[in-house]
Amino acid sequence: MSTVQAAQQPAATAVAARPGRRRGGSRLARRRRRAGLLLSLPAVIVVVALLGLPIGQAVYYSMTTWDGISATWIGPSAYSTALSDPILWRVLQNNALLLLSIPFAIGIPLSIAALLHEHVRGWRFFRSVYFLPTAISWVVIGMVAVQFFALSGLMNSMLRLVGLASLQTDMLAGQRSALVALAITFVWSMLGTNTIIFLTGMATLDQTLIEAARVDGLSRWQIFFRVTVPLLKRFIQFSFVITVISAFSALFSLIFVMTNGGPGFGTTTLEFFVYQSAFAQGQFGTGALYGIILFVIMIIVGLVQLRLIRSEDGEGW
Amino acid sequence: MTPLTAAGTGRPTAAVTRKRLRMGTLFALMAVIAVVMLYPFYYMLNNAFRTQSQFEQQHGHSAVSWRQLFTELPVGRELLNSTIICVTAIALILLVATTAGFAFAKLRYRGSGTVFLAVVAALMVPLQSIIIPEYVNLGKLGLINTYLGAIMVYVALGTPFATFLMATYYRGISDDLIEAAVMDGLGYGRTFLRIALPLSLPAIATVTVLQFIQIWDDLLVGLLFLQNPQQRTITVGLAALSAGRTTSIPVLMAGSFISALPAIIVYLIFQRHLIRGLTLGMGK
Amino acid sequence: MRRWILVAGVAVAALLATACGSGGGGGGSSSGSGPVTLTIWHNYGTEQNATALQNLAKAFHKLHPNVTVNIVSQPADNYFALLQAAAVSKTGPDLAVMWTGLFTLQYKNFLTNLQGKIPAADLARIDPNALKWTSDQFSSANGPYVIPLENQFYIGFYNKAAFAKAGVSAVPTDWSQLFAACKKLKAAGYLPMTYGNGGQPLGAEFYPWYDMSYMMIGSYPVNDWQKLYSGQIAWTAPANAAQLASWARLKSSGCTNSDVLTKTNNLGDFETGKAAMMIDGTWDTQKFTQALGANVAAFVPPFSSAPIKGVVDYAGDGLSMTTYSQHQPQALQFLEFMTTPQAATIINAAGLIPAITGTTTSNPVNQEMLNFVSQQHLTVYPMLDNVVQPEVVNTGSKVLPSVLNGTMSPSAALQNMQTTLGQLPASKRGTSYP
Repeated sequence: MSTVQAAQQPAATAVAARPGRRRGGSRLARRRRRAGLLLSLPAVIVVVALLGLPIGQAVYYSMTTWDGISATWIGPSAYSTALSDPILWRVLQNNALLLLSIPFAIGIPLSIAALLHEHVRGWRFFRSVYFLPTAISWVVIGMVAVQFFALSGLMNSMLRLVGLASLQTDMLAGQRSALVALAITFVWSMLGTNTIIFLTGMATLDQTLIEAARVDGLSRWQIFFRVTVPLLKRFIQFSFVITVISAFSALFSLIFVMTNGGPGFGTTTLEFFVYQSAFAQGQFGTGALYGIILFVIMIIVGLVQLRLIRSEDGEGW
Repeated sequence: MTPLTAAGTGRPTAAVTRKRLRMGTLFALMAVIAVVMLYPFYYMLNNAFRTQSQFEQQHGHSAVSWRQLFTELPVGRELLNSTIICVTAIALILLVATTAGFAFAKLRYRGSGTVFLAVVAALMVPLQSIIIPEYVNLGKLGLINTYLGAIMVYVALGTPFATFLMATYYRGISDDLIEAAVMDGLGYGRTFLRIALPLSLPAIATVTVLQFIQIWDDLLVGLLFLQNPQQRTITVGLAALSAGRTTSIPVLMAGSFISALPAIIVYLIFQRHLIRGLTLGMGK
Repeated sequence: MRRWILVAGVAVAALLATACGSGGGGGGSSSGSGPVTLTIWHNYGTEQNATALQNLAKAFHKLHPNVTVNIVSQPADNYFALLQAAAVSKTGPDLAVMWTGLFTLQYKNFLTNLQGKIPAADLARIDPNALKWTSDQFSSANGPYVIPLENQFYIGFYNKAAFAKAGVSAVPTDWSQLFAACKKLKAAGYLPMTYGNGGQPLGAEFYPWYDMSYMMIGSYPVNDWQKLYSGQIAWTAPANAAQLASWARLKSSGCTNSDVLTKTNNLGDFETGKAAMMIDGTWDTQKFTQALGANVAAFVPPFSSAPIKGVVDYAGDGLSMTTYSQHQPQALQFLEFMTTPQAATIINAAGLIPAITGTTTSNPVNQEMLNFVSQQHLTVYPMLDNVVQPEVVNTGSKVLPSVLNGTMSPSAALQNMQTTLGQLPASKRGTSYP
């Protein structure tokens, strides 16, 4: 498997090169560190001033009854009260279930990107077309989804057409099936974004490695799984983070239009719960509280994932 | 494929047919996916050319809703507002994120890994929980109802994502290439500008396209920070078409179609750069 | 490097310049008798109320040429959050459309109490029942925060031709008559009642509070609705469960379509005459009279085991003045204008029912609804979703549809609502309204 070794080559050289560059406080190393600080400073300022500060405020306000104007202190008991609400746990269950759609939201675009990268006939056209729905507003996507999943909608007509009339269902009317419908729409909506992230990643691939693997007689599948995927690891990691974030915090409009969080609490995710139980009613303190819970959960999911990859890879961030 | 060649070399022909079959299947599969992806456009256009009652009864077509759209909304003005905000915000995001991404990937300093993780963690901040504190803060600075206020929020929301992607991308560039340039006396600033930046065109294109859509389609920030109709973005304008009890869906569809076009144009302009980076060589 | 920083600096400076140049669109405050611009925000989208408001503004401008009215349509979905945020930065309008009931009371810290600000003689022209639901403790004596624009009904619509053809001679007035009518309509080939998510706010699934209001009318006198708010009557009370069970029978007995929660063209079903009945509200009256002419009529949803005695007739929305308005005299003038007969004529012309005492309306179906109160003397009820806690309304909106659909038991759904109520602080479920 000489090619597989070759695939890991760039990383290896980078690691090997490092100790040499790290040596002591050479003038160059000092200049590099200074340039690093200077170049990362603007981003850090933006993030601290415009995100860090409001998060800090949100943590404070989460322990108050705050309506934007006046706030009364409640204290940490606000959290224990919130966490004792059975509805919150029902909602968190939906978030957990929604995570099950992540492999599809990544796997399908990865395969599509690979196909496009192989230059299937008409790939330029497909590359354009697959991304276009990403430009459509959530409201439209939600409405189309509602029409599609309705009992008299497209999905059931197609089932009838192929003689599977017995499988017809009113998906959006059941608690679990509505969540499945939401997850399918979500996977669909991530297709464009994730596909172009993977295409970007493939732009960094060294074609000679793939050629070499082909010469070595590896099949397409082998090349895909043993060469392409490992080389794309960072991009897969990136898209995982983006996808989780989208699933947990960018589906508000879609849920709003598709199901309004129902039936029952079937499609109420934490994000939607934050919005409905707090933001829409002007109880910004409660909104901040649920928001912080959501933030903590996302940090856990995101960092655990970053850690996992990092430990395998030996040189993390 | 003449019979002669087929008779001459049996095995290659089998391979060729297999290849053709495979390509054909793939093509069919891709075409089916394309139909699925394009369906919403059909839905939008089909229903935009209806009146509300034609929509309810799903029968008949008319162009009335388009006229209504243009009388209800200052579409041109709103498109201009959206463009000003999007372009400025993306320019600033790129400025901040390419430099920081390069620094986090190639110019590490003590604690840069932690700083980077903190920036990535900021990606997970749910907008709804910080938007009101943010609103109060920027309100104190008198930035409500200014483009700048909205732009600052968009830059803040886009920076972690863009920095993360740029850093991910820069890590793929060989360290040797950077070192060599610095040894040549370019200095880190110019190495970044002349070597790293051109190489990262695919990632820049990706950030531009994805952030454009993100900002263009955003409702909440535009709504809260730009309350005057004169500065309103197209997305907020379209949302203002919906009412408590009833909404004219055909007008909304017509507006949504128009609103989707700029993002599509941006994508079509930038998509060739998504692939192009590799031809410039990755330091190999 | 240095040049790079320079470029960035120039970019930021240019940005600041554009921002400042275009920023000052806000309300430049001019007082006195010079020209004044009154800003009004609404969440009416493109519905009839928006037309009514536009025409009111035009008429007002004619009477007060120095006052220009600037009407701004704001997105309905985030309207109240926006109003509240705008109150924090004092960048909001002079007058804002406000929903009545608990909505008004929730946002009253930036709304002006109009008692003493608007002459009592003007207020007296408004339906006293309408003013009540915009006052502290829902008592008119405390003074209203909102001048109502219109009276709305949650109401049933039926197709006279369908009823005649199916041999339904009298409009049903209780559950058993309703089920009997359904049977006949079904036998005659009609869909007796159509349910779905059309005729609802954008996107939401089937909204159950029109029906729920009538179920609670069937159970309680109007003054007892406060006990649903305070919890003295638990949502889980057997009477409520029984009402929901009858309601669920509508679907299980085939009185409705099978996809009650998700049907997207239920309005179309009614307009084309396929469906014989529909529960909806005044905002769709005009649409129905246009599609069905004299065949459409109003009826009181008979969700009661005894003949139904109440009807939801409620001033759901109106205008209120913000406390931080820079043009209070002119804003008050506008609100006064809304109480005049001239305003009533304009509101009526837009297809709405003005909230003025003794009003009539030109739409015959709307007039039928008014007659339920003025001639048949049915008790007037508010919209239930405006007088119970928004948190409970939210939970109900999620669980109640599943009851109709048969996928959740009445007791389970009511238990959810009770739990939500129990999570609220005691100050939000007192024995009197806030």
